[in-house]
Formats: sequence, C-alpha cells, structure tokens
Amino acid sequence: MNIAWKEIKKNKVRFMILGSIVFLVSLLTFIISGLANGLSQDNAALIKDLPNGQFYMSKDANETYNMSRIDSSIQDKMLSKQKDAVAFSIQMGFLNDRAGKQQSVAFVTSTDSSLFKNVKKGEIVLDRSMEDKGIKIGDTLTNNQYSGKFIVKGFVDQRKFSHAPVAYINMDAYKEIYRVNEMQLIFVPGGDSTQVAGLQSFSNNQFLNTIASYKAEQMSLNMIVWFLVIISGMLFAIFFYMMNVQKIGLYGILKAIGVKTSALFKMMWTQMLFITVIALVLSVSLSQVFNMIAPKGMPFSLTTDTTVQLSIVFLIIGFIGATLSGIQIKKVEPLQAIQQGEI
Amino acid sequence: MAIFTIDEVRKTFTNGEVKEEILKGINLSLREGEITALVGASGSGKSTLLTIAAGLQPASDGKVIFEGTNMINMSSEQVRKVRASKFGFVFQFAHLVPFLTVEEQLMLMLDVSESKLKKHEQKKEVDKILKLVEMDHRKNAYPSSLSGGEKQRVAIARAIIHKPKVLFADEPTASLDSKRSKDVMMLIRNLTKTLNITTLMVTHDEEMLSYVDSIIKMSDGQVLQNAV
Ligand SMILES: Nc1ncnc2c1ncn2[C@@H]1O[C@H](COP(=O)(O)OP(=O)(O)OP(=O)(O)O)[C@@H](O)[C@H]1O
Ligand SMILES: [Mg+2]
Repeated sequence: MNIAWKEIKKNKVRFMILGSIVFLVSLLTFIISGLANGLSQDNAALIKDLPNGQFYMSKDANETYNMSRIDSSIQDKMLSKQKDAVAFSIQMGFLNDRAGKQQSVAFVTSTDSSLFKNVKKGEIVLDRSMEDKGIKIGDTLTNNQYSGKFIVKGFVDQRKFSHAPVAYINMDAYKEIYRVNEMQLIFVPGGDSTQVAGLQSFSNNQFLNTIASYKAEQMSLNMIVWFLVIISGMLFAIFFYMMNVQKIGLYGILKAIGVKTSALFKMMWTQMLFITVIALVLSVSLSQVFNMIAPKGMPFSLTTDTTVQLSIVFLIIGFIGATLSGIQIKKVEPLQAIQQGEI
Repeated sequence: MAIFTIDEVRKTFTNGEVKEEILKGINLSLREGEITALVGASGSGKSTLLTIAAGLQPASDGKVIFEGTNMINMSSEQVRKVRASKFGFVFQFAHLVPFLTVEEQLMLMLDVSESKLKKHEQKKEVDKILKLVEMDHRKNAYPSSLSGGEKQRVAIARAIIHKPKVLFADEPTASLDSKRSKDVMMLIRNLTKTLNITTLMVTHDEEMLSYVDSIIKMSDGQVLQNAV
C-alpha cells in the first residue's frame, strides 16, 4: 500500500505549503539565472556567439583588448596561413541620428569574414535594437570624428557589446575615427592555441574574462544564483525537518508495528520527489512564459540547458535536504512514541 | 505449554551518574492461548517488562525466549520481523495512523506482516475482523472521526489481523469508561480465545482481572507471586 500517497491526499494543505516554497524558490532562481544570462548576452553577444576558437592580442596590451595593436605584417602572415581567420577591432563610440541625437554604439570593423558583417564605405549595419530607437534602413547617420556619412544598410539580431548595440562599419571609416592603422584582435575559429611571436592567445572564455566589466557582472550574478541554490537547499532541509519532527510519533508507531526504516525513508523520498517535480514543472513553465513575455528592453534569456541543469540541482538538493532531515527517522525509538500518548 | 519465557531479565537505566535497576531478575512464562495479567504499583516496572518482552527495547541482562529462540541475541532486523509477523500490540492510546481509513490501517498491517494473501483476500480478511470488533460500518472513516472506544477496537483489530502468536497490551482500557472497558476486555478475550493468541496484558483495573487466566504481581522490579 502506498502510504506516502495516502498521506499527501489526506494532508493536502501541508504538502501544498511545502510545494509552494519549492516552487517560489526555484522560480526565483530561474528568473535570476535568466537575467544573468540575458545580461551576459547583452554584454557580449558579439563575442559569445562566435564559434569556439582562439583570440590573439598583442602581448604589450596587458590583456586589455583596446590597448592591443597587432602589427600588420604579423596579421598578414596569420590571415594567409589560416583561411578563416579574421582580424577585427571594437571601440565604443557615438552616432548622431537624423534628429541630431547621440546614440551610443560599439563600432566593429573586420577583415573579410562570414563571422562579421562586412560593409562598404559609407554604409553601416546596426544591431536590431537600434530599430526601437527610430532608426530605419536608408537613414543617414554621422559621427563627429568622421568626415563622411553612414547610410543604414540593414539590421542584425543579437549583436551587442558592453550593453551597447554593435555598429559594423568599413575599415577605412574605423581607421579615420580612431586614427589607428592596426587591428586589435585576430580570431581563429576552431584553432588550437599556437605560439605567435609578440601575441598572446585566449580561448573564448578567457577572452570574455579579460573584459573587466563582463567579468565583474557575471561574477556577482553567478554568486546570486549559487547563493539562491544554497539557500533553497537549506530551506528544503528545514521544511522537511519540521515536517518530520511533527511526524516523529507517527514514525515511532509505524516502527513499533514492524514497518522497516527503509520503507519510511522511501515514503519520505517519494513525497519529496512528488512535491519537487510538481513544483519544478510549474516554475519551469512559468519562467518559460516569462521568457516569452519579458519586455524587449529587459535582457532575459533562459536556455533549456540552464533550466534542466538547475532543475537537476534542485532535485539533488531536495533529496539531500530530505535525507539529512530524515536521519531523525532512523533515530526514532518506537517506545518513545508509545509513551508520548496519542498522536 | 510455555510459548514465551522470560528468564532472569534485568534492566538498568542510567540517569546521569545514577544507575537504577528497574527490573531485578524477572522470571515468568506465558502459556499458549492464555491471557496473563501483569499488575502492580505504578513504577514497579510493568511497562518496562512488557516492552522488553515485546522486543521494543533491549534487556540489560537475561533471556527472552520466544518459540525456542532467545530474542536478546537477535539483530534488530530479526526482532523487527518477529514484531511484524508474530506480535500484536495494543496500548493505552490506539495510536492509529491519522491519514489512513479504518480499512487501510488493517491493510497496512497485513502488508507489514508480509501477508501472502492476494489483495481481494486481504480485503475479505479485513471485513471479517472488522465484523468481529463491530466496526465494519465505519471502515472508510478516518481515526479523527472515531470515539475513543471505537479507536481502541480498531487498534485491537490491527493487533490481531495478521494472526500473531502473542498479543501485548499495556493498559488497553485505561482511556475508556467502565462499560467500554468491559466491552473491550470481552472483545480481547473472545478474539484471543478464538484465534489461540497468547496475551500479556498490563492493567490497573481490578475489574479486568476476572477476564484473565493468570495474574502476575510485580513490586519494585520483582515478581511477587504467580497466582491463578
Ligand atoms: N527510559 C527510561 N529511563 C529512565 N528510567 C525509566 C525509563 N523508563 C522507565 N523508567 C523508570 O522505570 C520505572 C518503571 O517504569 P514503568 O513504566 O515500567 O512502570 P509501570 O509499572 O509501567 O508504571 P505505571 O503503572 O505507572 O505505568 C519508573 O521508575 C520509571 O521512572
Ligand atoms: Mg506503565
């Protein structure tokens, strides 16, 4: 007979309270983790969406990409050796729209490559978020350091850097605005780290972590997520503990009539699994709904991977919490329960 | 014939520094199918003796021999198995499982004793026992909706449904009024006689002694007399 289920059926409210705690805590964790991921996307989608590979910058840049200047002879050598390698530069800057309003963007320029947008002189391709600022294809934009004009050629999705929309421009325009001739970075997709004289290589993650603002932001957000996970673990344990304490008498009686301790543990695990799974199904669906309806300006991105990972973590934590609190079950003496009177 | 023998059983409790011997070498035996009453002043050690005999706590010394085996030497899992399949318990309070109906309480006991009966046979058995304790009309009720006497009758049904060899009862009538006490006592007597169950029962109630086969009087951790 399934007494675990019988108890849930008879004590719906008690189990619903426990379930709603699991639901709320996991929902909060999902939302925060969606925000963390969204912000990270907003901060570095340009880099994050590149395939795995190696980034190179000059050694004397001290791991700061915008201090990097790659010698053009080295660049030529590398690009000719690796067919799909690309040299590129990123700098924060401003565009003036038709109304004369300044829009902050991240200017990006690169050598010929399918990984970046290559634009002709006098043209510009922008991240789609600029559309919301009222900019349309065919608009003319200017920059204070640039003698010419940019005509908006098109928009691309999900190209952000340092929370600013990316603006792909021609290399000549870039060189004029920033008065440089060298590119900052070389990216070799799929490549293994190779020693190049005067250059330092980074994997995608290593490179992201050289961007100070990115590293700090991700660290604090990940910290929040893991704190939430730990706190929910404690909450689970405490709630299961309180429930078990109320049931000490019951466990004693069941033991007295001969129910195995292992059967009592199974009963508790079944209940924990049941509650946690229902709560997780609810919070996962709700966070996915949130993912869909989150306002456009709010950086929120919750992937299935993250959701599954966090759900598994919650199941494990629930299991550990329930089991730790269940150690009391092992200790219950049937005699105590009998002497304590009516349950 | 003795089915259950207690031989020189001692029990010592340690309260902090003080060691107190509560049972000072108890000898007694239960004859098969008989009801034996354990009487004596409060604190004389009756409950302690009963729970040691029932395998609910260990003795400090001595032997508890059931069906030829000394239970003191058994592992706790072996003791649990004996409790589940060979013993039945009734206490002052019914101690029913609050979230199970009357019928489910008894089904659970059949499960625990690893009854070989099929599901529908189990249900039949439950119906039969509930008729015996006159609770068949309340078989879908939860304990919270039963009166004290009704609960105790269900507890008795639970204690005997798996046809135990020995029934242990510690003041089973103490929470009931005198008429209900007599009813419950009659019930225990009829059931144990019908099913040939040996009974050890602690009681304070002089009136109950007319329903028992033998009386053992305890005083200060020792058996005073063994009278019929
Ligand atoms: N776990 C324990 N630890 C310490 N002392 C105990 C323990 N259990 C019982 N005692 C003591 O052993 C003595 C006998 O207790 P027991 O419960 O067996 O008495 P009793 O004869 O059943 O009394 P009553 O008629 O009041 O139920 C008492 O003095 C009690 O305080
Ligand atoms: Mg007692």
